[in-house]
Amino acid sequence: MRRTAGSCLPALCAGLLAGCIASNVVATEDRAVLRPVAELPFVAAPELVLDGLYESIEITGDAALALRRIYYLFRPDGTYTAAALTEGERGAAFQTLSGTWTNTAAGLSLDGADPVRLERADEHLRITAANGAVVLRRSAAP
Amino acid sequence: MTRTLLQWLGVAFVLGLVGLAAFALTVVKDRVRIVVQADAASTGPEPVVLLRDDLGVVARDLAELRSALGANLERLGNALEERAVARHADVQALARELAAVRQRLDAQAASLQRAEQQLLPRPEAAATAATEPAPVVAPPAPVAAEAAPAKTGGFLSFSLPATTFAFDREQRYQLVPELCRVGFDAKSTLHDFSGVTSQVAGQFTADFDDPEGAWRGEVTCEAGSLVTGVDGRDANMREYLATTEHPQIRFEIQRFVPAAGGVDVARQTARGEIEGRMQIRGVTRDLRMPVSVEVDASRRVVVSGQAPLKLSDYQVPVPSQLGVINMQDDVVIWISLRARVQVGDRK
Repeated sequence: MRRTAGSCLPALCAGLLAGCIASNVVATEDRAVLRPVAELPFVAAPELVLDGLYESIEITGDAALALRRIYYLFRPDGTYTAAALTEGERGAAFQTLSGTWTNTAAGLSLDGADPVRLERADEHLRITAANGAVVLRRSAAP
Repeated sequence: MTRTLLQWLGVAFVLGLVGLAAFALTVVKDRVRIVVQADAASTGPEPVVLLRDDLGVVARDLAELRSALGANLERLGNALEERAVARHADVQALARELAAVRQRLDAQAASLQRAEQQLLPRPEAAATAATEPAPVVAPPAPVAAEAAPAKTGGFLSFSLPATTFAFDREQRYQLVPELCRVGFDAKSTLHDFSGVTSQVAGQFTADFDDPEGAWRGEVTCEAGSLVTGVDGRDANMREYLATTEHPQIRFEIQRFVPAAGGVDVARQTARGEIEGRMQIRGVTRDLRMPVSVEVDASRRVVVSGQAPLKLSDYQVPVPSQLGVINMQDDVVIWISLRARVQVGDRK
């Protein structure tokens, strides 16, 4: 009887310890790497005066097939300059462009094109076009 | 006689003239001075002064010409620069137009290919047709329009390279390491735990609608980067996995076996089992892993799955502390991968 109790003692201790140490198994739903962009409280931003440097943190839609990163530098005088890192048949390449922007109740218009939806959440902007959307985060001034 | 007299008179006259000349010369020799001087009309300023004036005029002309030439050259330079800028803008506009034309052509080519695929009978359909009588009414063409290759175009003033994504066509996919995570779940006497790493790389080729499931590719992870949340346990794990000698855990993808009705082209989802060869600690074994496939909003393929595995099959020592705290030989390995179409290497 004493031998049995002695052999059970380590197991008993282990059992007690197990009760004190929480499991740290990654739950199945937490295995994926997620970005909390979807939780940002975006609201429409009509007539918002754009000003500052923005960097994309998420691109969705068909545009995401070739777009890897976008940078916009908006100026409050209605001009902007931008760069996009794209990936095509010939590999990755930057595109740069400069132009004008207007933001009205109809949406954001770049270079006089049809307006697209512009939304804002804190330091983030979301621009939604026909073939994709981009979420931009304000960056430190260059 | 007369004639001789006349000759003598002639000679005497000549001698007389000579004598008279000699006499005259001796008389006026010292009284005559010959002076050579310019004409009175040609008197004026010194030639050197004139030459200096001329040089001054020429110098002024040269200075005027030089200034005029400089101004003209400057105007020419400005004009050339303006033309270069204009041409650069023209070239950029042409490049954009070319990119747009190319995208339209790619779209047309994709549409043509889809049309050809819909017109041509599939192999299994052809085989069925060969063994069975032809139906009176042809079955409807497979509906894959919504899942057809998506085409990119311009986006927010940028012109994008033509890239397509097709769930039902063979394409090569590249893992996006920052969005991938693999790991294992283990059980021990004290508590259960997971080992996780995001240092994942790899690529694979797949047609998710291919009934033969001819997938191929490889996924690797850095064994030494697995972490469990306990430093001491991580050090032991690296020792057990012999990460110095075998730094990578590899999985070679050989085939995808779709589950019955597991492929939904319209919704771009698939379920089935991946068959391949898993290599841990340098030991390679066959492995089948049930997986699910879907496409996220960024047109990335999301592959998730898990499979049981015995550490002893891969000669990984099963950890045990003092014979009391034991880890089980059975673990569950899991993957959560995101991959994007590898541009420029479409099949």
